[in-house]
Amino acid sequence: MSGSRVDLKVVLLGKEYGGKTSLVERYLHDRFHGDVPYQNTIGAAFGAKKIEVDSRTVTMGIWDTAGSERYEAMSRIYYRGAKAAIVCYDLTDGTSFDRAKFWVEELKRNEEFCKIYLSGNKFDLVENDKSRRQVDYHSVTDYAEELKAEVFETSSKTGHQIKELFFKIAQDYVKEPRNNDAAPEVPKTLNLTDKPKKADCAC
Amino acid sequence: MADSPGRPDGTDDEDQDVLIGEEPGASVHPMLATEDSYEELDYDLNIEAPITEQRERLASGTIASIVEEHTGPASAEEVGTEATELENDVERSSLEGDLSNLQISEEVTQRRADTVPDRQDVPNDTDEEVLQNREAGQREIKDEDIHSSVWRDHKKHVFILSEAGKPIYSRYGNEDKLVSLMGVMQALISFVQDGKNNLRSIVAGGRTFVFLVRPPLILVAVCRTHESQQQLLLQLTYVYNQVLSVLTYSQLSRVLETRKNYDLRRLLGGTEKFLDNLLNLIDQDPSFLLTAVRCLPLDSTVRDTIGHSIQSAKIKDLVFAILIADNQLVTLCRMKKYILHPADLHLVFNLLNASTSFQAADSWIPICLPKFDSAGFLHAHISYLDNSKACLLLLTVDKMMFFELAKCKEKIVEKLKKHHCIEAINRAVAGGGYRCLEVGISDLRHFIYKSKSTAQFTAPELEAPYREKEERARLFNMYQYVHQRVHNAARPLKIMFHVGSREAMLGWVTTGFELYAVFGPLATKQVAILAVNKLLKWIKKEEYRLFILDPPEF
Repeated sequence: MSGSRVDLKVVLLGKEYGGKTSLVERYLHDRFHGDVPYQNTIGAAFGAKKIEVDSRTVTMGIWDTAGSERYEAMSRIYYRGAKAAIVCYDLTDGTSFDRAKFWVEELKRNEEFCKIYLSGNKFDLVENDKSRRQVDYHSVTDYAEELKAEVFETSSKTGHQIKELFFKIAQDYVKEPRNNDAAPEVPKTLNLTDKPKKADCAC
Repeated sequence: MADSPGRPDGTDDEDQDVLIGEEPGASVHPMLATEDSYEELDYDLNIEAPITEQRERLASGTIASIVEEHTGPASAEEVGTEATELENDVERSSLEGDLSNLQISEEVTQRRADTVPDRQDVPNDTDEEVLQNREAGQREIKDEDIHSSVWRDHKKHVFILSEAGKPIYSRYGNEDKLVSLMGVMQALISFVQDGKNNLRSIVAGGRTFVFLVRPPLILVAVCRTHESQQQLLLQLTYVYNQVLSVLTYSQLSRVLETRKNYDLRRLLGGTEKFLDNLLNLIDQDPSFLLTAVRCLPLDSTVRDTIGHSIQSAKIKDLVFAILIADNQLVTLCRMKKYILHPADLHLVFNLLNASTSFQAADSWIPICLPKFDSAGFLHAHISYLDNSKACLLLLTVDKMMFFELAKCKEKIVEKLKKHHCIEAINRAVAGGGYRCLEVGISDLRHFIYKSKSTAQFTAPELEAPYREKEERARLFNMYQYVHQRVHNAARPLKIMFHVGSREAMLGWVTTGFELYAVFGPLATKQVAILAVNKLLKWIKKEEYRLFILDPPEF
């Protein structure tokens, strides 16, 4: 996938097995591998997607990071300069929300201009069986209010709220005056030197 | 069984047939380190090498020197501090782990008796359950009852424990349930160490127990197979390297030296599948046995074009560019000064082999190649080219270079597409290698040929009668047997002819190559020797297709 010009850097953070990779997979390729056994992400994976907001095309570069403790120190290089962070937690796992709080603190300390989006994943699991829910919606929204963060409860299995989440991120990005000033025309001229646009490889 | 050790008259003749440097697949431009790990290992074990010397076997400082060369000493220091940053983090978490350990320590005995295994270091119970459930789904073998005969009868068990006797990994069954067994292993080792000796192996109950102590880790293999102690030690060394590739030696030793009691699984979590996969590969792939790399047979002009395409995309700090398809090497482009060790390349193959997630998106991962530099990480940009079978790895020392490398990859893909190289690779992979029939020797069923000067090997695809899984496994065991006989440290052989009930095998080792060939059971030694001479001529004729003899450099 082209790494050449990204307007909006988005990073996914959160505890391992929290559904970050599935979320990206659903958004970028609109698919969900329910039958494939869990594969932990190693290091990080990058994907890009163009999105149209208010008649403007924004190229989103999405970093899907590994949740494993081992890579914690490396995560800094992925959220550096990110305009948006999707901090994920697993709705069926209470501890994953503690982990999410850790990431929120980390972001607040290091990336002042990074907007935070809290995403409670695996919504399909709690939708029909309320007893499986381990993270209360209202306590999350209360927490988010303090942070001025957005909350989404998503399901990569059904696609619930995922497009909405990314659209909101793009919309906030476009609305933010700082981003509009900081979008110089220079890269566009650079683009001309890039050979005729070839189809993006589906990655 | 009638095997005859190499007779001086016979072998001398053969040796003169092929001059050193003229043997098939020989090259004066090696891209891989050629020191024979098998013999190196032997050296390690025969001489009572002090630990410090053993450590020197692991390279260190290469990455720092590359950084220094390109940007001056200041940033090399920076890399150093970054590495420590990581370690500090680990220490912090290890401290947390230890605290919870203290709290729980009273319950430990009681817990062990429980049927549900607990991770004693993980503070939170729900956390544990989730982990457990997931792992159970992931590795069914984890569920195995360690008291069952099924568990006992596995052909090869591999265990990793810390020097303090803490379980880290078990190939079968849940290592949590093996606490006492690992305790015994640790006790055996320290008992012998007490007498200023090293425990290397035990043969008992139809099994071979092999121990490899690589402080701060202990690795143990327990086998019902006929592999030699040396072969098993080599395999344990690969397993050890796999652990290092995830953690680096500096991090591993730092963590376990400061906290002897640390549960290393916290850091290794999620990488069991790489160890599982590695052990499965070791049981079927001759590259590990031979410490050599298999190349994808490819027309030399195509391979050259691919090499040039990669070369032309060169950017600063790109140390290695590796193109792999179907577990075989297509090409390897390297910084002039640095060569890669086959054992490191095996880790890369294992990484791709064990995970399908790289196919989905471009990945950026830290990986330690212990023979290259055990002290730090290289950073790898991994991508499958254009949805093909070909996977490109770009390795650098700079962790901020993802986008530069992404551009570099695009350039390479563009060039490869222009010259239709990706199709050529796909065709070569779909074709499944070459057939033994091509050689034109009627009784020859299969062979493995390793060129020592390039650390590469070639073998035709397996055909009848080796189509079935069991037969393949049996053939591989035969290869292992001949290999261990010719490499026997006490009584090495140059040439060996072994007639079994179902096939005859010839093993032949010279300074330049190793050759193992399989014939029908009625083949005589004379027929076999004539045949392998013809075979060598054929390999020589095809060497540019089968081997990488002119590797590109940056």
